[in-house]
Amino acid sequence: MTDRVGLGWRPELAAGILSNLDRIEVLEVIADDYFDSAARARAIRTLAAQRPVALHGVSLGLASTAKADEKRLAKMARLVEKVRPECWSEHLAFVRAGEIEIGHLAAPPRTQATIDGTAVNLDRARALVGSLPLVENIATLIDPPASHLDEPEWINQTLEASAAPLLLDLHNLYANSVNFGARPEDSLARLRLERVHQVHIAGGKWIEDGGAHRRLLDDHLHDPPQPVYDLLTELARRCPNPLTVILERDGSYPPMAPLLAQLDRARRALERGRAEKAA
Amino acid sequence: MSSPALERFLAKIYVDAEARRRFLAAPFDEAVRAGLSDEQCRALQQIDRVGLEMAARSFARKRERKQRRP
Repeated sequence: MTDRVGLGWRPELAAGILSNLDRIEVLEVIADDYFDSAARARAIRTLAAQRPVALHGVSLGLASTAKADEKRLAKMARLVEKVRPECWSEHLAFVRAGEIEIGHLAAPPRTQATIDGTAVNLDRARALVGSLPLVENIATLIDPPASHLDEPEWINQTLEASAAPLLLDLHNLYANSVNFGARPEDSLARLRLERVHQVHIAGGKWIEDGGAHRRLLDDHLHDPPQPVYDLLTELARRCPNPLTVILERDGSYPPMAPLLAQLDRARRALERGRAEKAA
Repeated sequence: MSSPALERFLAKIYVDAEARRRFLAAPFDEAVRAGLSDEQCRALQQIDRVGLEMAARSFARKRERKQRRP
C-alpha cells in the first residue's frame, strides 16, 4: 500500500514546487485554467512528465438535473487527451442554471432526482472524456434547500448510481459537519470509504452574519486545522485503498517551507492511521 | 422532487439580490410564481436564511474575483 502526498499546482507556487519536487509526489492542476490555451496545456504535459498530474475541474456542474454543458465537457476531453493525466476529477456541484452562472460550486438539492441527474452526467462525461472523473464532495454555507437526504446518504447513493470513485475533501466534510450540527467523525464513518481514492486537505475561516450565527467557510487561504489531520488518520485507518492526498492552497500563500511541512504532517497522519489499521 | 426549474430558481436567488429580497419577503408566493411544485414551494418556506445570505455573499465574491482575473 503506497499512499502519496502532493500539492495543488498554482502559478504563484510554481518556482517553489519545481525546486522541491523530491518532496511532492503528485500535483493537481486546475483543468479550467488550461482549457483555452494549447501552449499552457503543453506546459502541463511537460509537468506531467516529471510528476504524476491529476486534472481537477471546477465548472462542469455535473451534480444537476440539467444536462452538463457539452462544450465544457469537450474542452475537458481535449485537455485530458493533450496532458494524459493519471486521472481527472470534478465536484458534486451545480454551478449554473440556464443562463445564470452562480460563479462557484453550489450544493444541489439532495434528492433522488439530483442523484439520477448526476449519474446521467457522469455517464456522458465518461463517454466524451474516455474515463470517469473522481467526484468530490463540496463545502456549502447553506443547507441545500428542498433536500430529502443528508449529505453522507446523498453521496453514498450518488456513488451507488455510478462507478465513479470518491475524492474526499476532508475540510469540506469537516466544515459541513460543524456548520450543520453533525460530528465530523460520524459523517466520515457513514461514507462508503472503500470508494475513496483521493483526498483534499485545506483550511478556512469562521464568518459571521452580523448576528449570533457563524459558519466555517472553506476558503483555501488558511492552513488545514488539526481536526482535518485527525480525519485523515481515521480515513487511513478505515480505507482499504492507497490514498493520494492533495493540499489545496488558493491564496495568502506562505513560503514553501510551511507548505512542505504541511505535506509532512499529512504523511504522518496517514502513517498513524495505517499503523493502527495494521495493529 | 428536484428539477431544472428548482435549480434555476435557486441560482436566481443566489446571484440576484433583488430576487433574493423578494423571495425572503414571501418565500411561498415567489416559489409559486416561479412555477415550482407545491412540495418545492413548501420546502422553500423552510429555507436556511442565514446560509442563504452567507452563500450569496460568498458566490458574489467569487464572481468578482473571476472578473478581475486577466
